[in-house]
Amino acid sequence: MILYIDTSSNFLYTGIVDNNKLIAEIKKEFGHNLSEAALPEIVSMFEENKISPKDIDKIIVVNGPGSFTGIRIGITIAKVYAWSLNIPITTITSLEAMAISKEEDIPKVPIIDARRGYCYAAIFNSDNKEILKPSYLTYEELQKELDKIENYIVITNDEEKLKVTHQNTTTYTPNILEVVNCFKTKKEINPHAINPEYLKLTEAEENKKNDSTN
Amino acid sequence: MNNKDMYILGIESSCDETSASIVKNGTEEIATVISSQIDIHKDYGGVVPEIASRHHVKNITIVLEECLTKANMTMDDIDAIAITYGPGLIGSLLIGLEAAKTLAWLYQKPLIPVHHIAGHIYANSLVRPLQFPLLALVVSGGHTELVEMTKHYKFKKLGGTLDDAIGECYDKVARVIGLEYPGGPKVDKLAQVGKDSYKLPIPLHDDSYNFSFSGLKSAVINLAHNIEQRGEELNKEDLATSFQNVAVESVVSKTKKAIEDKNIKYLIVAGGVAANKGLRTAIEKLAQDENIEVSIPPMKYCTDNATMIAAAGYYAYLDGRIADLTLNSTSSANLE
Repeated sequence: MILYIDTSSNFLYTGIVDNNKLIAEIKKEFGHNLSEAALPEIVSMFEENKISPKDIDKIIVVNGPGSFTGIRIGITIAKVYAWSLNIPITTITSLEAMAISKEEDIPKVPIIDARRGYCYAAIFNSDNKEILKPSYLTYEELQKELDKIENYIVITNDEEKLKVTHQNTTTYTPNILEVVNCFKTKKEINPHAINPEYLKLTEAEENKKNDSTN
Repeated sequence: MNNKDMYILGIESSCDETSASIVKNGTEEIATVISSQIDIHKDYGGVVPEIASRHHVKNITIVLEECLTKANMTMDDIDAIAITYGPGLIGSLLIGLEAAKTLAWLYQKPLIPVHHIAGHIYANSLVRPLQFPLLALVVSGGHTELVEMTKHYKFKKLGGTLDDAIGECYDKVARVIGLEYPGGPKVDKLAQVGKDSYKLPIPLHDDSYNFSFSGLKSAVINLAHNIEQRGEELNKEDLATSFQNVAVESVVSKTKKAIEDKNIKYLIVAGGVAANKGLRTAIEKLAQDENIEVSIPPMKYCTDNATMIAAAGYYAYLDGRIADLTLNSTSSANLE
């Protein structure tokens, strides 16, 4: 059985896959209550399906980019779980999960707005091979990348905030079965080494870096 | 329950220390691990919340594993999990909280919510049993409080700071003098050799049990500024002594008032600033004058640590304080 956890946005996306079947899933918006609700929701998913924590053979956790606090909630639950019960664990980025969840025959551009003219984005081809790796960049920089490809589809839940040209857009809800199937054979990572991928320094680090280069 | 020893795993991540500890029956430390970020935040002149959170999530399982290894125990040997739920930096608190909730679920153990200040107070129970009624003076980088206790786990906050905490004020003064963060202990050191030559106001000299340190902080900044304007040289040692005398006097006078009003025979000092020599000396003198007993825990239990959380957790458990998995952390938790 494989447990999937994604708390990188305002939503809790979690599910359990057994024998290529999605046997349980939760997709709920929590916003600021995510820290309170995430674990109880996961626990109720286990209990309702009469699954014990020890039944899980692998954990796949989304390590970002997205809400810093949100990512840390899922990562902490997942790494403590994997470490204490000695369960193999691996990570996937939120942008990859977004791309895999949509089957398209043109390149896919998952975008998460990051405020102040910045976004987190990546470009994948229709086979989910990376064209632009998950990046933190300005909309202008992203636009330059998009200009290199003819036709593409934007996957986002922040459509009203986007500052790039996009004819084709689709909203994102994860296809947990598809994501798990793509990642179930990915090499496991030592739980101690599981960390968020913020793709962005903290403001304090950014300022310090600018000070020292000026 | 009385026949069986109780081993509590405490977890603390309210500021810039990731810590785990196992304590037996609320009094006996079995093993403690503290991962401090002090060298990281030094470069920024203070704790940067987002950086602190990032390091907590990086360190949490490593700290937990080291603690269990040190104790030669496994999670199955643990009877309950005590966690600091607040107050503190919200992003930092969350890491310890999610870890504690996850372990409580996986191992079906009681989850005990512990207030950070209760932890500081119960650091004393690792040294000797608490005697009631008692007065606790909690002084640290985030807190300045007088708490009265008539029995185990019954807290009554008599007063607290209306603005900055005393340790915060020390760090600001250190910055004025040009000392590197965390400068509080360095100010204390300078104060041992200086003269009380600068005049500073005693803050909030009133009938309440409250404190105020922002006025004192401003007075020090203005004083240093004026000296500089006049082209004179600031005597750092003298400023440290003058400041420390006023800060300590403010804390001691309110403590004295509470001891006399409440007929207290037992005083506890807790929190990182309890290591301050000037304060220790003044408190010892106060205890002599008032003919009361005073307990100041060793330094390792004064700064933030999970040992005190596990110790407090034991008494919280006896008081029936068990949380479910919806427990959330809060930056401004109420002790009572």
